[in-house]
Amino acid sequence: MSNQHAHVGLPGNLALGLMTLILTALPQTADAVPSFARQTGLACEACHTVFPQLTPFGRTFKASGYTLFNTSKVTDINALRQSVLSLSDIPPVSAMVEASTSVAARANDANSSKISTDFPQQASLFYAGRVSDNVGAYFQLTYDDQSGTIGIDNTDVRFADVAVINGHNVIYGVSLNNNPTVQDLWNSTPAWGQPFIGSPALQMPGATTKIEGPMAQVVAGLSAYADIDNALYVEVGVYRSALQGVSVANNGNLDNDIISSVAPYWRVAYEWDWNKNSWEFGTLGLYSTIVNPTTPAGNKINLSLQDAPTDRFLDTGIDSQYQYIDDETQISVDARWIHETQNLGATNAAGFSTNPSNYVDSFNLTGSYYWNRKLGASLGFFDVAGSSDPLYFGTLNGKPNSKWGTVEVDYLPWLNIKLGLQYTAYVEFNGASSNYDGAGRSASDNNLLYGFLWIAY
Amino acid sequence: MKTIALVPAAAAIACLIGISSIGAGSAVPPVAPGVEPVPAAAISKATSVCQNCHGPGGDSVSSTFPRLNGQQADYITAQLKNFRDHSRSDPHAQAYMWGMASQLDDTLIAGLAKYYAGQKPQPPQSGGALAAEGRKIYVNGVTAENIPSCQICHGANGEGKGAFPRLAGQHGDYLKKQMEAFRSTLRDNAVMHANTKDMTDSQIEALASYLSND
Repeated sequence: MSNQHAHVGLPGNLALGLMTLILTALPQTADAVPSFARQTGLACEACHTVFPQLTPFGRTFKASGYTLFNTSKVTDINALRQSVLSLSDIPPVSAMVEASTSVAARANDANSSKISTDFPQQASLFYAGRVSDNVGAYFQLTYDDQSGTIGIDNTDVRFADVAVINGHNVIYGVSLNNNPTVQDLWNSTPAWGQPFIGSPALQMPGATTKIEGPMAQVVAGLSAYADIDNALYVEVGVYRSALQGVSVANNGNLDNDIISSVAPYWRVAYEWDWNKNSWEFGTLGLYSTIVNPTTPAGNKINLSLQDAPTDRFLDTGIDSQYQYIDDETQISVDARWIHETQNLGATNAAGFSTNPSNYVDSFNLTGSYYWNRKLGASLGFFDVAGSSDPLYFGTLNGKPNSKWGTVEVDYLPWLNIKLGLQYTAYVEFNGASSNYDGAGRSASDNNLLYGFLWIAY
Repeated sequence: MKTIALVPAAAAIACLIGISSIGAGSAVPPVAPGVEPVPAAAISKATSVCQNCHGPGGDSVSSTFPRLNGQQADYITAQLKNFRDHSRSDPHAQAYMWGMASQLDDTLIAGLAKYYAGQKPQPPQSGGALAAEGRKIYVNGVTAENIPSCQICHGANGEGKGAFPRLAGQHGDYLKKQMEAFRSTLRDNAVMHANTKDMTDSQIEALASYLSND
């Protein structure tokens, strides 16, 4: 999940504007869902190293559509002895609360405080578990204290089944979801990548790739996948815009950042498992044609959705994840590199970019170590770089470049409660290390210390 | 789970991954004339659920999960019933198997036991000084230290018998953890506690080295 969710009840453009701001301004976070434990009878450690990082079995459980269960159920059959009802007798419902305090190196502006406390930072309700024998859902509603509203958060509804094909065990299925990679099985892809939680007060760079957040909770995607022998994973899908609080079909608005037709998504990954180790290597991508795009500088084209010109974005990436898991030690290392080419036909014609095309590269390297699933430390390195375009990226020197790192220590008194302290340090922010905004602000002024409590029940 | 009566989606995936022939019953072991086959429900459970941790045919990859291929049927039956009624309560039993076994009935347990007993076990590794030391303990015990011969119950080659489990070809780390758990009574078994209570860590290492295949 994320801090990112849409907000119902606001006028269309305002909602979209707020949404875009939130989507691009906040780090992604993710959840663990105790209702899965209730449904399966398995402790958290079966599926998670420490929540929300998945183990190999957790990946299989997800690919299988969240349908594994070990509880009694209400059933019915028809005259042909076919199953027509298979309800778990306990609904798979969970709750989650996050609370936090943040201290920035320097206040964001002349009027704001350096310190902020968020209680709750976020509160979520989940329906997460099986719906029938072959259908499961991960559905999240989130109250976000930044907007003070409740909105739809990450959602992944699946059909899945298993077949033995020529001696190969194949889990195959279809996912209906609202965030590219939310359906993915590894923590090296954007939706479930580290850091899993972040401060609402943290300043985030202006430039990002399309697949790394901007589409979260404002699209609907349908994808088909196959997981063969728990090793080879193949998925293809398409995404369309599905804004919250507005409908592009009849609201009369000149909505921004709408996917023209569909955006194809693809993913191929291979995982090697040996003894207590696993290593995944994969590739992923998304090709989106965007009507009325918003630039990182904040400029928008506002034309009729029927004939507006478009920008085209091709995101291609590679990712890798290594894990070592035993009872005492849990290690995960994740890496991701996304290259985005931006063909800015509409934006350039509107005078919002210097170049007709740009690119952004995004690189993440994160690692975590846990001792007995109780004490842990995580490190992260993040790098965004790209071509120079002052008009488009809106930075002083025209570069979108940012570099930063995170250090986090966690303590879990119980497996479903995490206390953490996270420090984020910027080396470069929106193009420069010092005076990046022309008003004397340094990248390190955005450094931030963040303490949090995260409870899932 | 299907073994596969061809459904369109599976056919599409078969094409996708380049599998040209799809055969029914590929996971079903051959059955000798006059021998009762493993029930289909047990094969289905084993291949769609159990193998996610215990591996295809019970030949697991991770030492967190014991190999079940070639394990004694009576031992599997007893353990699954112990998981189900919570009489086996070591940490992994609680974390994984209490839930997994909770809805198994006796018929399915018997079928699963038969299925895994019929799978080809891994041979133990041989060689090495540590394994040789382990073999001495396994065959003769250490009388002066109250460690009996293991082969009396577990068989001359660690193949097990009835309720006494196969040890040969198991993950070394798993064997080690079980012996430590018996020693500390984390895994409650009076006989095995008596047999292991005086074992040193190095003796446990040696036994695991002799019996395991890692």
